[in-house]
Amino acid sequence: MDCPIKTQESTDWLLDFVAGRLHGERAAELVRHVEACNDCANFVAAQRVVWNALDQWEPEPLSIDFDRRLYRSIEAARPASGLAGMLRRIFGPLQPLWRPVVPLAAACLLIVAGVMLHAPQAVIAPLDGTARVEKIEPEQVERTLDDMQMLRELVVAPEQGKNISKSM
Amino acid sequence: MALDCDAELMLRVKDGDGASFGLLLGKYRASVTHFLYRMVQDQAVSEELAQEVFLRVYRSRETYEPTAKFTTWLYKIATNLALNWLRDEKNERGQQRLDETSEDAPAREVADRSPSVEQKLLHQVKVEAVRQAVAALPEKQRAAVLMHKYDEMEYSQIAKVLSCSESAVKSLLFRAYETLRMRLAHMA
Repeated sequence: MDCPIKTQESTDWLLDFVAGRLHGERAAELVRHVEACNDCANFVAAQRVVWNALDQWEPEPLSIDFDRRLYRSIEAARPASGLAGMLRRIFGPLQPLWRPVVPLAAACLLIVAGVMLHAPQAVIAPLDGTARVEKIEPEQVERTLDDMQMLRELVVAPEQGKNISKSM
Repeated sequence: MALDCDAELMLRVKDGDGASFGLLLGKYRASVTHFLYRMVQDQAVSEELAQEVFLRVYRSRETYEPTAKFTTWLYKIATNLALNWLRDEKNERGQQRLDETSEDAPAREVADRSPSVEQKLLHQVKVEAVRQAVAALPEKQRAAVLMHKYDEMEYSQIAKVLSCSESAVKSLLFRAYETLRMRLAHMA
Protein backbone atom coordinates (compact mmCIF):
# COMPACT_ATOMS: atom_id res chain seq x y z
CA MET A 1 0.00 0.00 0.00
CA ASP A 2 1.01 3.66 -0.48
CA CYS A 3 2.28 5.42 2.64
CA PRO A 4 -0.67 7.38 4.18
CA ILE A 5 1.72 10.03 5.56
CA LYS A 6 3.58 10.63 2.32
CA THR A 7 0.51 10.64 0.10
CA GLN A 8 -1.72 12.33 2.70
CA GLU A 9 -4.41 9.87 1.69
CA SER A 10 -6.07 7.35 3.97
CA THR A 11 -4.71 9.10 7.04
CA ASP A 12 -8.02 8.17 8.64
CA TRP A 13 -6.82 4.56 8.45
CA LEU A 14 -4.03 5.44 10.87
CA LEU A 15 -6.47 7.16 13.24
CA ASP A 16 -8.87 4.23 13.04
CA PHE A 17 -6.03 1.78 13.56
CA VAL A 18 -4.99 3.48 16.82
CA ALA A 19 -8.65 3.74 17.87
CA GLY A 20 -9.01 -0.01 17.33
CA ARG A 21 -11.69 0.55 14.69
CA LEU A 22 -9.83 -0.80 11.66
CA HIS A 23 -10.58 -4.42 10.98
CA GLY A 24 -10.05 -7.20 8.44
CA GLU A 25 -7.82 -6.93 5.40
CA ARG A 26 -7.33 -3.16 5.77
CA ALA A 27 -5.95 -3.58 9.30
CA ALA A 28 -3.60 -6.37 8.25
CA GLU A 29 -2.37 -4.30 5.30
CA LEU A 30 -1.70 -1.27 7.51
CA VAL A 31 0.09 -3.35 10.15
CA ARG A 32 2.46 -4.67 7.48
CA HIS A 33 3.05 -1.12 6.22
CA VAL A 34 3.65 0.37 9.70
CA GLU A 35 6.24 -2.30 10.45
CA ALA A 36 8.16 -1.21 7.41
CA CYS A 37 7.55 2.58 7.48
CA ASN A 38 9.31 4.73 10.04
CA ASP A 39 7.07 7.79 9.53
CA CYS A 40 3.89 5.80 10.03
CA ALA A 41 5.35 3.98 13.04
CA ASN A 42 6.17 7.35 14.67
CA PHE A 43 2.73 8.65 13.81
CA VAL A 44 1.05 5.63 15.39
CA ALA A 45 3.19 5.90 18.55
CA ALA A 46 2.44 9.62 18.98
CA GLN A 47 -1.26 9.10 18.29
CA ARG A 48 -1.35 6.33 20.93
CA VAL A 49 0.00 8.83 23.49
CA VAL A 50 -2.84 11.24 22.64
CA TRP A 51 -5.41 8.46 22.70
CA ASN A 52 -4.30 7.24 26.14
CA ALA A 53 -4.11 10.79 27.49
CA LEU A 54 -7.68 11.48 26.35
CA ASP A 55 -8.77 8.29 28.12
CA GLN A 56 -7.70 9.80 31.43
CA TRP A 57 -10.08 12.73 31.14
CA GLU A 58 -13.21 11.50 32.86
CA PRO A 59 -16.15 13.82 33.31
CA GLU A 60 -17.80 14.44 36.63
CA PRO A 61 -20.97 12.52 37.52
CA LEU A 62 -24.32 14.13 36.80
CA SER A 63 -26.47 15.79 39.46
CA ILE A 64 -28.94 13.38 41.02
CA ASP A 65 -31.86 15.71 40.34
CA PHE A 66 -31.11 16.00 36.59
CA ASP A 67 -34.29 14.15 35.52
CA ARG A 68 -36.49 15.91 38.07
CA ARG A 69 -35.35 19.32 36.82
CA LEU A 70 -35.91 18.29 33.24
CA TYR A 71 -39.43 16.98 33.83
CA ARG A 72 -40.24 20.15 35.76
CA SER A 73 -39.13 22.23 32.75
CA ILE A 74 -41.20 20.03 30.44
CA GLU A 75 -44.22 20.46 32.70
CA ALA A 76 -43.73 24.22 32.80
CA ALA A 77 -43.48 24.37 29.02
CA ARG A 78 -46.61 22.25 28.50
CA PRO A 79 -49.73 24.27 27.55
CA ALA A 80 -52.28 24.46 30.40
CA SER A 81 -55.37 22.27 30.14
CA GLY A 82 -59.02 23.21 30.82
CA LEU A 83 -60.53 26.69 30.55
CA ALA A 84 -57.26 28.53 31.20
CA GLY A 85 -55.55 26.58 28.45
CA MET A 86 -58.42 27.15 26.05
CA LEU A 87 -58.41 30.91 26.72
CA ARG A 88 -54.65 31.00 26.31
CA ARG A 89 -54.92 29.16 22.99
CA ILE A 90 -57.63 31.52 21.73
CA PHE A 91 -56.19 34.82 22.94
CA GLY A 92 -52.55 33.86 22.93
CA PRO A 93 -51.96 34.81 19.29
CA LEU A 94 -53.69 38.16 19.89
CA GLN A 95 -51.33 39.09 22.70
CA PRO A 96 -49.07 41.27 20.54
CA LEU A 97 -52.16 43.23 19.47
CA TRP A 98 -53.67 44.01 22.85
CA ARG A 99 -50.45 44.42 24.79
CA PRO A 100 -49.78 48.04 23.65
CA VAL A 101 -53.43 48.92 24.46
CA VAL A 102 -52.94 48.30 28.19
CA PRO A 103 -50.59 51.25 28.88
CA LEU A 104 -52.78 53.48 26.69
CA ALA A 105 -55.88 52.54 28.68
CA ALA A 106 -54.01 53.17 31.93
CA ALA A 107 -52.96 56.61 30.69
CA CYS A 108 -56.57 57.46 29.72
CA LEU A 109 -57.81 56.40 33.17
CA LEU A 110 -55.23 58.65 34.82
CA ILE A 111 -56.30 61.62 32.70
CA VAL A 112 -60.01 61.08 33.53
CA ALA A 113 -59.18 60.77 37.24
CA GLY A 114 -57.17 63.99 37.08
CA VAL A 115 -60.03 65.89 35.41
CA MET A 116 -62.50 64.64 38.02
CA LEU A 117 -60.27 65.73 40.89
CA HIS A 118 -59.85 69.23 39.43
CA ALA A 119 -63.64 69.89 39.04
CA PRO A 120 -65.43 67.94 41.75
CA GLN A 121 -68.46 70.32 42.16
CA ALA A 122 -69.48 70.06 38.56
CA VAL A 123 -70.21 66.43 39.04
CA ILE A 124 -71.52 66.45 42.60
CA ALA A 125 -73.91 69.47 42.42
CA PRO A 126 -76.53 68.06 40.04
CA LEU A 127 -76.61 64.84 41.98
CA ASP A 128 -77.19 66.76 45.19
CA GLY A 129 -80.00 68.84 43.60
CA THR A 130 -81.78 65.81 42.28
CA ALA A 131 -81.71 64.23 45.69
CA ARG A 132 -83.33 67.37 47.24
CA VAL A 133 -86.19 67.43 44.74
CA GLU A 134 -86.91 63.82 45.41
CA LYS A 135 -87.20 64.53 49.15
CA ILE A 136 -90.00 67.19 48.82
CA GLU A 137 -93.33 65.81 50.08
CA PRO A 138 -96.78 66.65 48.54
CA GLU A 139 -97.98 68.21 51.82
CA GLN A 140 -95.04 70.60 51.75
CA VAL A 141 -95.98 71.66 48.21
CA GLU A 142 -99.60 72.16 49.29
CA ARG A 143 -98.53 74.27 52.24
CA THR A 144 -96.30 76.42 50.07
CA LEU A 145 -99.11 76.95 47.56
CA ASP A 146 -101.42 78.00 50.40
CA ASP A 147 -98.81 80.48 51.67
CA MET A 148 -98.45 81.94 48.20
CA GLN A 149 -102.27 82.30 47.91
CA MET A 150 -102.39 84.10 51.26
CA LEU A 151 -99.64 86.51 50.22
CA ARG A 152 -101.45 87.21 46.94
CA GLU A 153 -104.64 87.97 48.86
CA LEU A 154 -102.78 90.30 51.21
CA VAL A 155 -101.36 92.18 48.23
CA VAL A 156 -104.69 92.32 46.38
CA ALA A 157 -106.78 93.44 49.43
CA PRO A 158 -105.09 96.91 50.02
CA GLU A 159 -105.26 97.65 46.26
CA GLN A 160 -109.01 96.98 46.27
CA GLY A 161 -109.37 99.36 49.28
CA LYS A 162 -107.59 102.15 47.37
CA ASN A 163 -109.85 101.72 44.34
CA ILE A 164 -113.02 101.97 46.49
CA SER A 165 -111.88 105.24 48.17
CA LYS A 166 -111.01 106.76 44.77
CA SER A 167 -114.42 106.02 43.33
CA MET A 168 -116.16 107.60 46.31
CA MET B 1 -34.35 3.00 5.12
CA ALA B 2 -34.41 0.78 8.22
CA LEU B 3 -35.16 2.74 11.38
CA ASP B 4 -32.71 2.53 14.26
CA CYS B 5 -34.34 1.56 17.55
CA ASP B 6 -33.84 5.07 18.97
CA ALA B 7 -35.76 6.58 16.06
CA GLU B 8 -38.54 4.06 16.73
CA LEU B 9 -38.60 5.15 20.37
CA MET B 10 -38.77 8.77 19.27
CA LEU B 11 -41.71 7.97 16.99
CA ARG B 12 -43.45 6.46 20.01
CA VAL B 13 -42.75 9.68 21.93
CA LYS B 14 -44.38 11.47 18.99
CA ASP B 15 -47.46 9.29 19.53
CA GLY B 16 -47.59 10.40 23.16
CA ASP B 17 -45.64 7.62 24.87
CA GLY B 18 -43.82 9.35 27.72
CA ALA B 19 -42.09 6.13 28.82
CA SER B 20 -40.17 6.00 25.52
CA PHE B 21 -38.88 9.49 26.19
CA GLY B 22 -37.69 8.24 29.57
CA LEU B 23 -35.83 5.40 27.85
CA LEU B 24 -34.08 7.79 25.45
CA LEU B 25 -33.21 10.10 28.33
CA GLY B 26 -31.76 7.21 30.33
CA LYS B 27 -29.72 6.05 27.36
CA TYR B 28 -28.22 9.39 26.31
CA ARG B 29 -28.39 11.60 29.41
CA ALA B 30 -24.79 10.89 30.45
CA SER B 31 -23.14 10.83 27.02
CA VAL B 32 -24.75 14.11 25.92
CA THR B 33 -23.86 15.85 29.20
CA HIS B 34 -20.29 14.55 29.07
CA PHE B 35 -19.92 15.69 25.47
CA LEU B 36 -21.18 19.14 26.48
CA TYR B 37 -18.92 19.19 29.53
CA ARG B 38 -15.85 18.51 27.39
CA MET B 39 -16.99 21.18 24.94
CA VAL B 40 -17.70 23.99 27.41
CA GLN B 41 -15.57 22.67 30.32
CA ASP B 42 -18.00 23.81 32.97
CA GLN B 43 -20.08 21.23 34.84
CA ALA B 44 -23.03 23.48 35.73
CA VAL B 45 -23.25 24.92 32.22
CA SER B 46 -22.99 21.49 30.61
CA GLU B 47 -25.94 20.25 32.68
CA GLU B 48 -27.99 23.32 31.82
CA LEU B 49 -27.26 22.82 28.13
CA ALA B 50 -28.06 19.10 28.38
CA GLN B 51 -31.40 19.97 29.96
CA GLU B 52 -32.07 22.28 27.04
CA VAL B 53 -31.13 19.53 24.55
CA PHE B 54 -33.66 17.08 25.98
CA LEU B 55 -36.28 19.78 26.37
CA ARG B 56 -35.89 20.58 22.67
CA VAL B 57 -36.10 16.90 21.81
CA TYR B 58 -39.37 16.65 23.73
CA ARG B 59 -40.77 19.85 22.24
CA SER B 60 -39.92 18.74 18.70
CA ARG B 61 -41.58 15.33 19.10
CA GLU B 62 -44.62 16.31 17.04
CA THR B 63 -42.56 17.42 14.06
CA TYR B 64 -39.93 14.68 14.37
CA GLU B 65 -39.17 12.78 11.17
CA PRO B 66 -36.61 9.95 11.22
CA THR B 67 -34.63 11.21 8.23
CA ALA B 68 -31.29 10.49 9.95
CA LYS B 69 -30.04 8.48 12.90
CA PHE B 70 -31.52 9.67 16.18
CA THR B 71 -28.06 10.28 17.65
CA THR B 72 -27.13 12.46 14.68
CA TRP B 73 -30.15 14.66 15.39
CA LEU B 74 -29.47 14.61 19.14
CA TYR B 75 -25.80 15.58 18.79
CA LYS B 76 -26.65 18.22 16.22
CA ILE B 77 -28.85 19.93 18.80
CA ALA B 78 -26.16 19.51 21.48
CA THR B 79 -23.33 20.76 19.24
CA ASN B 80 -25.29 23.81 18.10
CA LEU B 81 -26.13 24.72 21.68
CA ALA B 82 -22.50 24.29 22.75
CA LEU B 83 -21.14 26.32 19.83
CA ASN B 84 -23.65 29.11 20.50
CA TRP B 85 -22.73 29.14 24.19
CA LEU B 86 -19.00 29.25 23.38
CA ARG B 87 -19.57 32.10 20.92
CA ASP B 88 -21.56 34.10 23.48
CA GLU B 89 -19.01 33.33 26.18
CA LYS B 90 -16.17 34.42 23.92
CA ASN B 91 -17.95 37.73 23.19
CA GLU B 92 -18.61 38.27 26.89
CA ARG B 93 -15.03 37.46 27.83
CA GLY B 94 -13.78 39.80 25.12
CA GLN B 95 -15.98 42.55 26.52
CA GLN B 96 -14.74 41.86 30.06
CA ARG B 97 -11.15 41.99 28.86
CA LEU B 98 -11.83 45.42 27.34
CA ASP B 99 -13.36 46.58 30.63
CA GLU B 100 -10.52 45.26 32.77
CA THR B 101 -7.81 47.68 33.84
CA SER B 102 -5.26 44.96 34.52
CA GLU B 103 -4.02 43.00 31.52
CA ASP B 104 -2.99 39.98 33.54
CA ALA B 105 -6.12 38.00 34.20
CA PRO B 106 -5.61 35.25 36.77
CA ALA B 107 -4.90 31.89 35.15
CA ARG B 108 -7.40 29.09 35.69
CA GLU B 109 -6.24 27.02 38.59
CA VAL B 110 -6.28 23.29 38.97
CA ALA B 111 -9.00 22.19 41.37
CA ASP B 112 -7.63 21.27 44.78
CA ARG B 113 -8.88 17.76 45.44
CA SER B 114 -6.98 16.66 48.56
CA PRO B 115 -3.60 16.00 46.89
CA SER B 116 -2.35 13.60 49.50
CA VAL B 117 -1.20 10.85 47.17
CA GLU B 118 1.50 11.54 44.61
CA GLN B 119 -0.21 9.47 41.94
CA LYS B 120 -3.42 11.40 42.36
CA LEU B 121 -1.55 14.64 41.93
CA LEU B 122 0.19 13.39 38.83
CA HIS B 123 -3.12 12.25 37.40
CA GLN B 124 -4.62 15.68 38.05
CA VAL B 125 -1.74 17.39 36.30
CA LYS B 126 -2.14 15.09 33.30
CA VAL B 127 -5.89 15.61 33.14
CA GLU B 128 -5.39 19.36 33.36
CA ALA B 129 -2.91 19.20 30.48
CA VAL B 130 -5.42 17.22 28.39
CA ARG B 131 -8.22 19.61 29.29
CA GLN B 132 -6.16 22.62 28.28
CA ALA B 133 -5.00 21.01 25.05
CA VAL B 134 -8.58 20.18 24.05
CA ALA B 135 -9.82 23.62 25.11
CA ALA B 136 -7.22 25.25 22.88
CA LEU B 137 -8.57 23.49 19.77
CA PRO B 138 -10.84 25.47 17.45
CA GLU B 139 -14.47 24.72 18.34
CA LYS B 140 -15.34 22.57 15.31
CA GLN B 141 -12.14 20.54 15.65
CA ARG B 142 -12.92 20.09 19.34
CA ALA B 143 -16.44 18.86 18.62
CA ALA B 144 -15.14 16.46 15.95
CA VAL B 145 -12.48 15.01 18.26
CA LEU B 146 -14.94 14.54 21.12
CA MET B 147 -17.51 12.79 18.93
CA HIS B 148 -14.79 10.63 17.33
CA LYS B 149 -12.99 9.72 20.54
CA TYR B 150 -15.65 9.50 23.24
CA ASP B 151 -18.86 8.80 21.32
CA GLU B 152 -17.20 6.56 18.73
CA MET B 153 -19.11 8.18 15.89
CA GLU B 154 -18.39 7.41 12.27
CA TYR B 155 -17.02 10.10 9.97
CA SER B 156 -20.29 10.26 8.04
CA GLN B 157 -22.27 10.87 11.21
CA ILE B 158 -19.88 13.55 12.48
CA ALA B 159 -20.17 15.18 9.05
CA LYS B 160 -23.96 15.32 9.35
CA VAL B 161 -23.78 16.75 12.87
CA LEU B 162 -21.32 19.45 11.80
CA SER B 163 -23.08 20.02 8.45
CA CYS B 164 -19.98 19.43 6.36
CA SER B 165 -18.56 16.77 4.06
CA GLU B 166 -16.96 13.56 5.22
CA SER B 167 -13.60 14.60 3.76
CA ALA B 168 -13.85 17.89 5.66
CA VAL B 169 -14.35 15.93 8.88
CA LYS B 170 -11.30 13.75 8.15
CA SER B 171 -9.28 16.89 7.54
CA LEU B 172 -10.62 18.50 10.75
CA LEU B 173 -9.71 15.40 12.75
CA PHE B 174 -6.27 15.06 11.21
CA ARG B 175 -5.40 18.67 12.07
CA ALA B 176 -6.90 18.41 15.55
CA TYR B 177 -4.98 15.24 16.43
CA GLU B 178 -1.84 16.75 14.95
CA THR B 179 -2.15 19.69 17.38
CA LEU B 180 -2.87 17.33 20.27
CA ARG B 181 0.15 15.15 19.38
CA MET B 182 2.38 18.22 19.66
CA ARG B 183 0.79 19.52 22.87
CA LEU B 184 0.65 16.17 24.64
CA ALA B 185 3.97 14.75 23.43
CA HIS B 186 5.42 15.17 26.93
CA MET B 187 2.95 12.62 28.25
CA ALA B 188 4.68 9.76 26.42
